[in-house]
Amino acid sequence: MDELANRRVAPTPSVPPKVKGTRAPNEIDFWRGYALIAIFINHVPGIFYEQFTHKNFGFSDSAELFVLLAGWSLRAMVDRSPDLEPVRLVLRIGGRAVTLYIAQQVITVMAIAMIAATALLTQTNLVLQWNNAAAVFEEPVTANIGLVILSHHLGYFDILPLYIVLMWMAPVFAVLYRVSPTVLLAASGGLYVATLYTGFNLPTWPVEGRWYFNPFAWQFVFALGYMLGGPGPGQQIVQKYRLPIRIFGVLFVVGSLFAATYGWYFDWLNAPEPAAFFVVDKTFQTPLRLLHVLALMATFGGAFYFILKYLPQIARFCSMLGRNSLNVFCVGSLLSLSGQIGRFALSESLWVDTAVLILGPVLLSLTAWVSEWRQRLRA
Amino acid sequence: MGIRMATAPKGLIFLIGAVAACAVGLAVAQTAPTTSPTPDGPAAPIATHPLSTQCSVPANEIAAPAPLPTLITRLENHQPLRILAIGSSSTWGVGATSNRKNYPSQLEAMLERILKDVPIEMINRGVSGETAGTTADRLRMEAALIKPDIVLWQVGTNDAVQRIAVEQFERTVSRTVAILKRKKIDIVLVGLQYTPKYARDEHYFAIREALKRVAAEQNVLYVRRYQAMEYISKTKATMQMMADDDFHLNDVGYQCMAEHIAQAVTANIFVRRRKPAS
Repeated sequence: MDELANRRVAPTPSVPPKVKGTRAPNEIDFWRGYALIAIFINHVPGIFYEQFTHKNFGFSDSAELFVLLAGWSLRAMVDRSPDLEPVRLVLRIGGRAVTLYIAQQVITVMAIAMIAATALLTQTNLVLQWNNAAAVFEEPVTANIGLVILSHHLGYFDILPLYIVLMWMAPVFAVLYRVSPTVLLAASGGLYVATLYTGFNLPTWPVEGRWYFNPFAWQFVFALGYMLGGPGPGQQIVQKYRLPIRIFGVLFVVGSLFAATYGWYFDWLNAPEPAAFFVVDKTFQTPLRLLHVLALMATFGGAFYFILKYLPQIARFCSMLGRNSLNVFCVGSLLSLSGQIGRFALSESLWVDTAVLILGPVLLSLTAWVSEWRQRLRA
Repeated sequence: MGIRMATAPKGLIFLIGAVAACAVGLAVAQTAPTTSPTPDGPAAPIATHPLSTQCSVPANEIAAPAPLPTLITRLENHQPLRILAIGSSSTWGVGATSNRKNYPSQLEAMLERILKDVPIEMINRGVSGETAGTTADRLRMEAALIKPDIVLWQVGTNDAVQRIAVEQFERTVSRTVAILKRKKIDIVLVGLQYTPKYARDEHYFAIREALKRVAAEQNVLYVRRYQAMEYISKTKATMQMMADDDFHLNDVGYQCMAEHIAQAVTANIFVRRRKPAS
């Protein structure tokens, strides 16, 4: 809504590109930046500060926020060229999927090298099994094929494979949305319900199992982000029922805070059948988690403008990260792994955790800054 | 060698007892599934899988008795067993020459030999390097989707090495075990890997103790892998059961791990036969 207007006026021609070659801080970039920091912290398991990220205060976590906003941003990209013919639209989104695939391969190879180097330097071969990496070292013949066909994911390096599949689906979403928003809602929602009902998921290979992020369930979050990310029936409904939606959002967020704290929700093993509709589960992106991320949006939508007014540095900092989300995400994934290695090599302590907490975002902002510096040089 | 001679018979005697009791129990179950069985029944025509000399450990070093009600019921009714083996690298089989040599595959073959008229389906969901929190999430989902009769949860090593807080670990395991029990799924906790590198590590010890507490509080079977392996490594210094990384097991190591679990499980059928569940 407001942020789109903001986004359109952002690159003001009166400002010299040397100073501002990038868009102004906006709500979507800000929350993407926040999600990237939260993902960074959540991916250092056991770190003291993990208990303060929003996953502890409700059903969903930063992954939902990231995927929802990814759909939202894709819509903004598509809307910027409304006259693009379908073939070109498909090619443009497909190009994005290729970029993501290359990014996934690069960070995976680097992560494998980091794990191997840690094993060599600390003389601890045990490290070679971290984050589901064992197959790469133990069964390289199959694992190397698995890495390329995305059937083998390192632990915490499994969001990009989801994102890549979503980007493969995205041209279909974009075309369906052009046919009619209702058609997209029905197709995506139908696939979501069918996935939850059947429990279907993509298998992993060579390690027996299933995808940690089930793309057939998660595509619905992405599609909802796409539908809400630009003018259309989604935004009309939001604008028409702004107050009731916000009240529902606040009630749901507060309710889920208590539910998550006291465990007032169904578990896979005590839920009525089909369980996936009632539980709080990340793999299947279950309805409670989906509602929670939408409720968070309804509750905190607009909060950005207060942050921009009273804490402008934070607003600018997170927006800068969000503007460069792919680069920041990739570096963040490797920094999380560095954090895991650091906590292992130096033994866990609050000092190490604090160093990880400070160094991580500093290096993430450096990543974003360098990315924008390059863009400015090119401009 | 002297020590081996002194200890092997003890383990062997227990195993013979356990397997015989298991066999007897099954024989009784075959004829009268609902009656309370006695250990004095006729010998059953069940082939046994002896605990090999190289893996022999006194039974009390392996596990304390604990009930396995679903297993017993299904054995009594001649129903097939579906076993979910979940955990980290030791379940997936790091160090094994092939996935037929990892512990769940070897255990499946052993149980099929011992319980020869019972079809067994073993499902492996080991993900290397995983800590208890992540496995617990997967476990609850997989248990709901796969609907196993028994869950073998190998847990703790990565939490110890990755310095996960003890209370957090204990809470995670305890909650998950409680919910599995409520769902009438038998659970076998398979403990931490033995390695001299962590023999004096306080956190490693604290996680082992926490797992032991959970098993005792929840009254579930806990296979003390660390003790059993430490026993073997001290009594059979020349035996090579570790992989080249000196941390993971090799094929022989996994064979011992599977044998110990097989023994712990069958010993509990034995206990149940002698003392019908209250």
